[in-house]
Amino acid sequence: MSTPMIDIRNVSKWFGTHKVLDQVTETIDRGQVIVICGPSGSGKSTLLKTLNGLEPFQEGDVVVDGLSLRDAKTDHIKLRQKMGMVFQRFELYPHMKVMDNITIAPTKVRKLNPKAARAKAMQLLERVGIPEQADKYPGNLSGGQQQRVAIARALAMEPQIMLFDEPTSALDPEMIKEVLDVMVDLARSGMTMIVVTHEMGFAREVADEIIFMDEGRIIERGTDKSFFEKPKTDRARDFLNKILI
Amino acid sequence: MGLDGMVIVRNFSFLMQGLVTTFQLAVLAISGGLLLGTLVGMARLSSIRAIYYPATLFVNLMRSLPLILVIFWFYFLVPLVAGRPMGDFLSATIAFVVFEASYFAEIVRAGIQSIPQGQMQAAYSTGFTYGQTMRYVILPQALRNMIPSLLTQSVVVFQDTSLAFVIGLKEFLRSASIVDAREVRSVELYLFVGLVYFLFCFTMSRMSRKLEAERRAA
Repeated sequence: MSTPMIDIRNVSKWFGTHKVLDQVTETIDRGQVIVICGPSGSGKSTLLKTLNGLEPFQEGDVVVDGLSLRDAKTDHIKLRQKMGMVFQRFELYPHMKVMDNITIAPTKVRKLNPKAARAKAMQLLERVGIPEQADKYPGNLSGGQQQRVAIARALAMEPQIMLFDEPTSALDPEMIKEVLDVMVDLARSGMTMIVVTHEMGFAREVADEIIFMDEGRIIERGTDKSFFEKPKTDRARDFLNKILI
Repeated sequence: MGLDGMVIVRNFSFLMQGLVTTFQLAVLAISGGLLLGTLVGMARLSSIRAIYYPATLFVNLMRSLPLILVIFWFYFLVPLVAGRPMGDFLSATIAFVVFEASYFAEIVRAGIQSIPQGQMQAAYSTGFTYGQTMRYVILPQALRNMIPSLLTQSVVVFQDTSLAFVIGLKEFLRSASIVDAREVRSVELYLFVGLVYFLFCFTMSRMSRKLEAERRAA
């Protein structure tokens, strides 16, 4: 592999005096799927949000596809278009129909004509398995359906990287699978993905690397086998015991 | 004491002209105030100091002054700045827009803050600018939440327009007082004025309450 897709170099971040990210370093290559896990408050969501500039950081740098986040000349708007993001609480726009949720960014940001944007949106809704929901409002969809719309919305901008921030933790158990299936599909299609999740089944199935974070630091990383079978740190072992019962 | 309703009938068209002026001033004050207030409300949430501080100063200053004083200020100030007399209607309009903007700004600020942070992040993550995020995602939702407060404030603005009386603007109350000076029928005239204000404001308040109830039910 030549240049990495994302290069996280010694990133530290403070909220006031509280250090939430502590010297985080990680490289992610094109097409890799990285799963980040760890206890709540360990900084995993914050790390994800620093990658597309939603959260500023004080030290270090993140270079995405050659663009440095610390470089004042970098256009954050352009940079964000390389990355789609899916949130824990879906964050669909409640005042817009499903179709408009998906087409608004392509038409307003990429100036795609509305007809082409709608055709593309229909394709994506078919890909996530809910083309029949196009004319409904998000409030009338189940959580699993909303999250699939959110994935389609992010994909509509044709990103090179997809960021997932605990995409299934606000879902009822019976809906988790339908969202994970879409994500597994996406991983198999070669998308570069960074997924904050505790779904270890998903991690085993598609992750190239699993990162365990605690107190703002990456304290362990490994492939699924090495991580699940013989975690090196006590913290990771404790954590795995708790979530794998 | 006998009431003579005919004084209203005789001067009806003159009084209605005053009422039209009142409505014109109210509509301009509400739309201008809301427009300026939206900008100021957004500025109050800015992380850029050069935007946040002036907006905050403006809001706190305006909200600490009696409206009647602001009306006087602009009545004497606008001609000085413009270099020529501007007329009572124009100076009253400017005073109202500026004054009411500070109240609308706080409503808009609260409305924007009522929208979850995640909506902003979602919009930014798709490549929206701040302006696009506000225009397509945040303000449409915020405005919907604000409708009851905006209606209530609009009723207040409508009543407040009567204060333009002090600079001689011939709005509804002033028109009644002009007729009164001629015909000396204070009781009838001011009861009539009160009735008109009451009917309009009461209707608006009821509408606002109904909208609020509908919103809660939804």
